[in-house]
Amino acid sequence: MRGADYVIKRIAFALLTVFIAVTINFALFRLAPGTAVTNLARVPHATPETRLALKREFGLDKSKLDQYFIYLKQLSRGNLGISFENSQPVRDNLKTALINTIPMVLLGTLFAIVIGTITGVLAAWRRGTAAEGASVTTALAFYSMPTHWLGLMLVILFAGTLPTGGMTNDFLINPSFWQHFKDLVAHITLPALTLGLVLFGEYTLIVRSAMLETLSEDYILTARAKGLRPAAILRMHALRNAMLPIATLIALSLGYIVAGAILVETVFSWPGIGRAVYDAVLARDYPMLQGAFLVLTVSVVFFNLVADLLYFKLDPRITE
Amino acid sequence: MSVAVREPGAVIESEPIRSRRGIVWETIRRRPSAAIGSAILLVIVLGALLAPWLAPYDLHKQVGPVFGHPSWSHPLGLDDGGIDMVTLLMWGARVSLVVGFAATFVSMVIGGTIGVAAGYFGGKTDTTLMRITDYFLVIPDVPLMIVVAAIWGPSLFHIIIVIGILLWTSTARVIRAQVKSVRERVYVKRARSLGASHTRIVFRHVLPQVAPLLIANTVLTIAVAIFDETALAFLGLGDPSRISLGKMIENAFQRAAISTGAWYAIVPPGLLVAVIILSCSLVGGALEDALNPRLRVAHLSARSFRLRPLVGRGGEAV
Amino acid sequence: MRKRWLVALGIGVLTVALGAYAASGKSSGKSSQSGGTFRIGTSSRIDSLNPYVAFNQDAYSTFEYIYPLLIQYDKANSKFVADFATSWKTSNGGKTWTFKTRKGAKWTDGKPLTARDAAWSINTDIKYAATGAANAAGLIAHIKNAKAPNATTLVVNYAAPAGNVLGQFQQFAILPEHIWAKHTGHKGADLKTFANSAPVVGAGPFKLTKFKKDEIALFQRNNSFYGEKPKADAFGLRMFSNSDALVSALKAHEIDAIEDVPATAIKTLRSGFNVRSVPGVDQTDFIINSNPKKSKHRELLNLKVKEALAHAIDREQIVKVVFLGTAKPASSIVPPATGKWFNKNLKPETFDLALANKLLDQAGFKKGPGGIRVAGGHKMSYQVITPTDVPSTNRTFQILQPDFKKIGIQLSQRALDSTAAFEAISGPNNKYLNFDLAMWDWVALIDPDFMLSVVTCAQYGGWSDSGYCDPRYDRMYSQQQLTPNQDKRRALVWKMQAYLYNKRPYIWLAAQDHVWAVAKNWGGLVASPQGPFNSISKLSLTSVHQQ
Repeated sequence: MRGADYVIKRIAFALLTVFIAVTINFALFRLAPGTAVTNLARVPHATPETRLALKREFGLDKSKLDQYFIYLKQLSRGNLGISFENSQPVRDNLKTALINTIPMVLLGTLFAIVIGTITGVLAAWRRGTAAEGASVTTALAFYSMPTHWLGLMLVILFAGTLPTGGMTNDFLINPSFWQHFKDLVAHITLPALTLGLVLFGEYTLIVRSAMLETLSEDYILTARAKGLRPAAILRMHALRNAMLPIATLIALSLGYIVAGAILVETVFSWPGIGRAVYDAVLARDYPMLQGAFLVLTVSVVFFNLVADLLYFKLDPRITE
Repeated sequence: MSVAVREPGAVIESEPIRSRRGIVWETIRRRPSAAIGSAILLVIVLGALLAPWLAPYDLHKQVGPVFGHPSWSHPLGLDDGGIDMVTLLMWGARVSLVVGFAATFVSMVIGGTIGVAAGYFGGKTDTTLMRITDYFLVIPDVPLMIVVAAIWGPSLFHIIIVIGILLWTSTARVIRAQVKSVRERVYVKRARSLGASHTRIVFRHVLPQVAPLLIANTVLTIAVAIFDETALAFLGLGDPSRISLGKMIENAFQRAAISTGAWYAIVPPGLLVAVIILSCSLVGGALEDALNPRLRVAHLSARSFRLRPLVGRGGEAV
Repeated sequence: MRKRWLVALGIGVLTVALGAYAASGKSSGKSSQSGGTFRIGTSSRIDSLNPYVAFNQDAYSTFEYIYPLLIQYDKANSKFVADFATSWKTSNGGKTWTFKTRKGAKWTDGKPLTARDAAWSINTDIKYAATGAANAAGLIAHIKNAKAPNATTLVVNYAAPAGNVLGQFQQFAILPEHIWAKHTGHKGADLKTFANSAPVVGAGPFKLTKFKKDEIALFQRNNSFYGEKPKADAFGLRMFSNSDALVSALKAHEIDAIEDVPATAIKTLRSGFNVRSVPGVDQTDFIINSNPKKSKHRELLNLKVKEALAHAIDREQIVKVVFLGTAKPASSIVPPATGKWFNKNLKPETFDLALANKLLDQAGFKKGPGGIRVAGGHKMSYQVITPTDVPSTNRTFQILQPDFKKIGIQLSQRALDSTAAFEAISGPNNKYLNFDLAMWDWVALIDPDFMLSVVTCAQYGGWSDSGYCDPRYDRMYSQQQLTPNQDKRRALVWKMQAYLYNKRPYIWLAAQDHVWAVAKNWGGLVASPQGPFNSISKLSLTSVHQQ
């Protein structure tokens, strides 16, 4: 049962990594210098009852080791503490933030895949010509641009045509569904485009390599000899072979992108999880920081696991 | 006619790998992308190094109006303090490159050591070290950097350490693989049987073989380190007393450069960063392709398609 | 291939949506009704909706528009006129003030608004002045109690005749007793924990109906307001995290006005918008820790040293580079825009490095290695704390640093967010022992009482960011509060400014103009040193209308 063996091993590894992440998260915030960081009951303007409850929930007057186990216990209940900034449970704040980030990130990934596939196919099919060079160089060039700078470039180009800040137009009072949808689409375009442009390079290179691999194989020669049109060949064989690495890449990237859309969200004032982390830092909102950091690490581990499993399922020639 | 599998300048796996020492130079000479990349990097590094002598104006002196337009005496205009942009670019590149090199040095030392130890000693050491590496691989970089900057305060030193601590993983992995293969070489086994100490073997036999790959990896890491520095500066966590390329972007952003039409305060620094990163990627990528052909082998798995280590860009805060 | 279908579908949907969007032309909430929504953009924030907690100016402007206050300023910002109080008189040698309040007024939830609410608010603040109501303690200083003999009469009894009664009540927001009375538990500490979230029960010309922190605050016209009803249907305050987004939004007509235009954008906005500039009440400062009990670096308490530092500041350069000319060199804790309260005899210190060097030499602090002076065995090298949400501090610091080096003082910048900055300044535990230097800004009111209060001993842990504590100054402060004769009070206020000028807890840098921009299709805003959205009077946003 080699298959199940592999799956179990990867899941076990993922769980272990999450556990280590949780531990390091604890250490980072409880062992840091200064009581501000370690005193998580210090919610400004909280009632004495709230403070007492937090102290009890997180055992803040006990030893560090006790605090650690209590922390694990609260974590298993989903209790991430209370935000200093708005005195709301961290879990709720993070949920809202994540819900805001995910569509933008998904759309950005979509852009990246589309642009990457087109340029990759172009590069491979027009192997050895100027088109290939241009395609690959463009991919690498965009890949090298600092994300926030590229976002600012888009702002320079599109300010006035597309909204450059926020997720919705807050002044639309009681908009119809269609108005609201239009508004959302208008606002999501530039941030998602920024993400897409910065990320598509990887997809270009992967698609190109996959296609080069496939195109060099004998059965392609045969197909061409048989008179199959290039588009058919592309569709049936080459792209199909690129799907595996693309799927794996998507899974891997998603884990990190959700963690890292901070720069895009700052440029475009997008109220997502990246900006939540940043605002939490500015406000020294340690419970939020701790919670956000944990969520991000877990998301990366999770998507890495998904990538591993995908890789395993889709590629029978796996070597470990 | 089938499509050629061989790229110009690629090393074919079946060729016996002779001396690897000349390969860095040879790759740079033969592959156009590497040559161009190296040339650009050289120019930029020289420009930054010689900034105190080459810069046309004083770094702290206001020479015109805020966001002054480009003119013959100021080809790139003035920034939000009325300081010449060309001067700022040279000095800013200096700081950014220093951070890049220093952080990379830190990561090289850590990654190299771990990679060599894991690959050379194998067994339990290997497994433990690799588990640690895997953990570091999944830490979301920029959030961690932000948190550390928040807790310990933004200073150049802290930033260098933090970036360095996050970037060593790819180095470790690549070095480990290389060391593993070198360890199996006949001459190493012979040296062992003759009673040579581990240290001697590592330094005299293993490291020289590993060096070129380390160089390739270092160049790629520099690119990432510089990117991280601009990201941190943009978020306001850079060292406020030094002007770096990232800080220039942040200053312009804070002072409404775009809506004022002062695009020249934002475009050049970012462009320079992009050029540096692109050049490093070209050189490093070319070196890696040349030295480690297994990265291009016909395995349709994602990991082998990564022409750049995962921690390179996909692992970055976007 | 399933995957490609999805990709194609995704692209298809996107294209259709974007196409529809583009075809419909610019959207962005056109206000087509006659009243309309006046959309204001700002780069500052409303930090809290609770008057016992809020710090930021925009929060106080919010309270001005949603709560009844007894008094407000008139359109010229010089006289006090009616708000909730229609008339007032003093008796008992100035110790008793009687206000007549509006008849038949209502809170936005329909409950009656009477003088009893005013009395309750005042008495509550007095009762909990040491705990939950500490922020407002200055406003009710010297009041013994307040009574409401009937629904339209408020009687306020002072311990001694006070000189600034109207000025204090101009800042005093009256809160609904039926909402807030349940939040006085824990000896009044609960006052600070009540979220007071939207929709807020108030009684101003507008009601706050929607509030998303750091994003948007929407105010709708309150048709049961006791005074002149607003012409606009609603107004909104949209908070931006950076100036570029703010200015782009105005240019793209996503908002109708910017309450505080960044200096660099003024030129580009002049062509399409009405840009107005008035001398403002916002002044930036250089703070020297003046806590007489501080342990380290006591050379900074030396008045000659402070004077030397003041002569090393190139205010003209700061005005030119940081504010692009939209400011004037400042000299006093009370800004010039307050009119008669500003001591005109005080002039900003000259920028004279030679004089500064001489003063420091005379004080006995010789230059050591590297050109840095030595004091008490250590280098005169200090950290300057700067809050990240006052953007002018960075550029200003870059101007100060090389000049200070020339007089042998080394400065390094420590940028912190405002909470951390205040903690660093007031630490440990509100003892003000740790910091040396800092930079910040103050937005004053027209009546000088507030600004004069921030350097009193009582404000340790409250408004004080300088650690200044001087019993003689405190006596003067108390005295000006209890001087009913306005001319005498003015003379005293001038004397206090001159006194502080020599003691220098602050070296004042620049008095900023307040610059705002409005789209050409809106008019009727009332200018004030705090801009169109202010905590000075309700008139500005009540009279704004589309034209």
